Amino acid sequence: MSFEIFISQLFGGLSVAMLLFLVASGLTLIFGVAKVFNFAHGSFYMIGAYFSYQAIALFENFWIGAVAAALGAGLVGMLLEVCFIRRIAGREEEGAFQILLTYAFILILDDAVKFIWGPAYKTISKPESLAGSFQFGSVTVPTYNLFIILLGLVIVVSAWYVLSRTKTGKIIQAASSDTQMVGMLGVNVSLVMSLVFGVATAMGGLAGALAAPLRTIAPGTGVEVIIDSLIVVVIGGLGNFWGALFAALLIGEVNAFGILWMPQWASLLSFAVMIVVLIFKPKGLFSREKGRKKI
Amino acid sequence: MKRKTVSILAALLVSLTSVASFAAETVKIGALYPMSGRGGLYGQDSEAAIKIALAEVNAKGLPGGRKLEAIVTDDQSKPALAVTLAKRYITEDKVKFLYGVVSSGAALAVTEVSKEYKTIFVGSDHAATDLTANAFQKYYFRVSNNTYQSMAAGAMYMQDTKMGGKIAYIGPDYAYGRDQIAELKYSLGKLGVKYEMVGEFWPKLYEPDYTSYITAIIKAKPDVLVSGFWGGDTVAFIKQAKAYGLFDKMKYFHPDGGGNYEVFSTLGAECPEGLIMSARHHNNWPETKENKEFVEKFHKATGRYPSYAAEGAYAGILVIAEAIRKVGNADDTEALIKAMEGMKIKLPEDPAGFTSYIDPKTHQMAQAQAIGVTVKNDKFPPAKFALGNMKVYAADKLMPTQEYIDILTKSKKK
Amino acid sequence: MNTKLTTIAPWLAYFLIFGSLIFTGGDHTIHVASQVIILGLFAIAFNVLFGTTGLLSFGQAIFYGLGAYITGMMAKSFGGDFFVWALLIAPVAAIVLSVLLGVLSLRLSDVYFTMLTLAFAQLAWGICVKWSSFTGGDDGIQAIPKPELLAGGLNYYIFSFLVVTVCLYLLWRLDRSPFGSVLKGIRQNPTRISFIGMNVFRHKLLAYMISSCFTAIAGGLYAGIDKSIHPDMFVWTMSGSIILMTILGGMRSFFGPLIGVAVFILLEDEIGRATQYWSFVIGAIMITVVLLFPKGIVGISRHFAGVFAKKGGQLDNP
Repeated sequence: MSFEIFISQLFGGLSVAMLLFLVASGLTLIFGVAKVFNFAHGSFYMIGAYFSYQAIALFENFWIGAVAAALGAGLVGMLLEVCFIRRIAGREEEGAFQILLTYAFILILDDAVKFIWGPAYKTISKPESLAGSFQFGSVTVPTYNLFIILLGLVIVVSAWYVLSRTKTGKIIQAASSDTQMVGMLGVNVSLVMSLVFGVATAMGGLAGALAAPLRTIAPGTGVEVIIDSLIVVVIGGLGNFWGALFAALLIGEVNAFGILWMPQWASLLSFAVMIVVLIFKPKGLFSREKGRKKI
Repeated sequence: MKRKTVSILAALLVSLTSVASFAAETVKIGALYPMSGRGGLYGQDSEAAIKIALAEVNAKGLPGGRKLEAIVTDDQSKPALAVTLAKRYITEDKVKFLYGVVSSGAALAVTEVSKEYKTIFVGSDHAATDLTANAFQKYYFRVSNNTYQSMAAGAMYMQDTKMGGKIAYIGPDYAYGRDQIAELKYSLGKLGVKYEMVGEFWPKLYEPDYTSYITAIIKAKPDVLVSGFWGGDTVAFIKQAKAYGLFDKMKYFHPDGGGNYEVFSTLGAECPEGLIMSARHHNNWPETKENKEFVEKFHKATGRYPSYAAEGAYAGILVIAEAIRKVGNADDTEALIKAMEGMKIKLPEDPAGFTSYIDPKTHQMAQAQAIGVTVKNDKFPPAKFALGNMKVYAADKLMPTQEYIDILTKSKKK
Repeated sequence: MNTKLTTIAPWLAYFLIFGSLIFTGGDHTIHVASQVIILGLFAIAFNVLFGTTGLLSFGQAIFYGLGAYITGMMAKSFGGDFFVWALLIAPVAAIVLSVLLGVLSLRLSDVYFTMLTLAFAQLAWGICVKWSSFTGGDDGIQAIPKPELLAGGLNYYIFSFLVVTVCLYLLWRLDRSPFGSVLKGIRQNPTRISFIGMNVFRHKLLAYMISSCFTAIAGGLYAGIDKSIHPDMFVWTMSGSIILMTILGGMRSFFGPLIGVAVFILLEDEIGRATQYWSFVIGAIMITVVLLFPKGIVGISRHFAGVFAKKGGQLDNP
């Protein structure tokens, strides 16, 4: 394989990885930090894209669309959390019912978008400012992909900083691991949880809006991203943003080179990677807990 | 005395008319389409087209005052569900015809139900050649083209325009994607076109990110990229590939489903010029009265222009109605089959001077295929492009050869 | 007397409902009932892992698909009379596979276990689709032959009913045995169980093997309903729908999963016919059940039974 092809695939894999990370980042927040099994994460990604589409149709501005996506998805998320998820908090089978509840969200949101916007595919364009591409020798990198790469880095650094270096972040982390204690210290735990849920769904919605210029907006597209997001979150270690970034890079690059070396099996590689990782590192790559349960 | 005659006559008249209305039965068609998810558009378009067709045939009238009616249910493109629904249609709703099914996997399962219950299945939209080849059973008819026909036309186009040399293929990693390239290779071989495969790429169905595939394709430096996507995947691939300048570096050849209307209506102005594609039905071609009327009727009823699925759904109803007219009733299944075999029927997609017909041996509708190049066309908003400079290929040249059917039979062990 | 009645009652209901259909059911009802009892077996077998032992496997469909494909492919190769033998070979193969997968997966906890089981099932799906020369790929396999005696919807329903009843009885006995109690203990407090001197890992593995064995039987039985199978029997959404139906019906009761399956299939059947927005309706119903009935649908009947019983409705696992 020539150096050219190597660089080309390397950059391609990087692009794929960053978008994958962007979509999965909301999930690692909700799943790893708030410990809510949000099966419907992909659906917030989907409605984010639709909100963006609608805002762009009205205001003809891509960035307004992105903001609308984040706000819209965040608000819908908080609404669903307050009305439904909060109601089952503390129940004996909370995890199981979260699965059921969030699956119901998927069903409802799929039909909602079909009802409001119809079944035909929708699309949005990249913003003018990011529509070009750079040439590094014979390797083309679209400007928009560079933007996604930079944004992904911004997100991972901000998330890490907020969660581990600020008081708010520490409260959030504490609230999810010991709700009672934190509540007794005077923190409004349910408010904190609702806000975290809202932020996570907003991130999902934003990812949907940012991915939309590259993809197709259609009902049912939420379910298509949930599995890949789960894989990234699990390989990286729940709640670990740097871990999720690394996992996304791993998956992106394995896929990029898998296409060249084993094209027939490329579509199964992300599962194979996860299997290998979990066999050797049972709690993901960067978990601080010991994985092997001594039974 | 006069009054008595009048009342007897009146009584006779009343009894006659009630007998007549008793004979005006409803003939039911049980249709299965995806109404949700990615395939939902095809289901919705098909349902709208079915309604248009039913209005037409019922207005024209059927023997004995019969009325044709269709029940449409979402099969979610799941084979097991499609089978359950089909069986229910037959045992509970007493349908005389099974209809539709977009997913080939589901169609293969439903054709078995059709065979078991001896109920005619008029299929539209699913394109796996198998159903009119190795998986053929006599109660099955297909009113839209299969992948063999599109790829045979594609091979002829490649020969005519001297497209050859290095070819790469990208298609979704399942039967539909695999069948297309296999059939293209077969037809190219038969025509003696020289080519060299420099890469085959298999993203999963509904793959969100084609970036790594695009970079690999560009590095492989093919002259032609043959593509086997459908629906949203076509749109996503074109959008992503455009940013890499892929379409400046090679020809993009998508002979089966690339030019379907939903691709143009979604891409709008972003559609690149010069893509070589075809579709099962085009809104802008042929410019015959029948096609224009069909497209207009659809637009009036739904507020949008039809994807290709609509024309297939429309065609099937016409075929069924015509068969019932020929036979005089909807119960004599054997006679209906005979009536459909060889039936010639004018469809919106027929170019002037050609009428679609059903091949008696394989029950496959023989249709002309038109392959064209993307050019600016804003007659069908929100689409800004459509196919132009069409090359048309005659129907009888496109039918699967017996040799190919034998190859399929051997490889699929049906 | 009260406890004996509450123990027998679900079985009585089971025989009454599914047994009477043999005599009263029309073609479509028998078809749906066959699906319900077979998927019900799948769900109850799944619940051995989930509701009883606390292991959320998102990949049980791998055994379901395995059972279906072994039965289907062998019947196609060796003829309809081999169908029942194939049905017996399927669970054996499942047990073997479950040992391999179990040893790898059960070391993991919680979501990591869940995701690994999902990954294995997806890999199996991928192999099934790609190895199309062997498995038929995503065309699926149709026209699977059955023995003469089992041809026809009603005969096959009676056969499935008998097989499922035997399997359910075995699972029932297991659930009420000391082994079952250990599994429940593991769900509630694994550390304590290991302190008593029990090998938690071995118990989990056994539960996994048992669950997989009966899941494969369900898969094999399914191959005979429509005589048609498809790789999507392996897909994560298949495992997912079983999980949902189990939770919906009630994961802490033995028959709960079966009730969940019945309700879900009936809902999909009726609502799917009525509107293309069936997704929304079913989603709304699910939310209602979750909010109002913490013990699943089974909790509804228990609630009413508790109203009748004078002893404040202390009804644990029947």
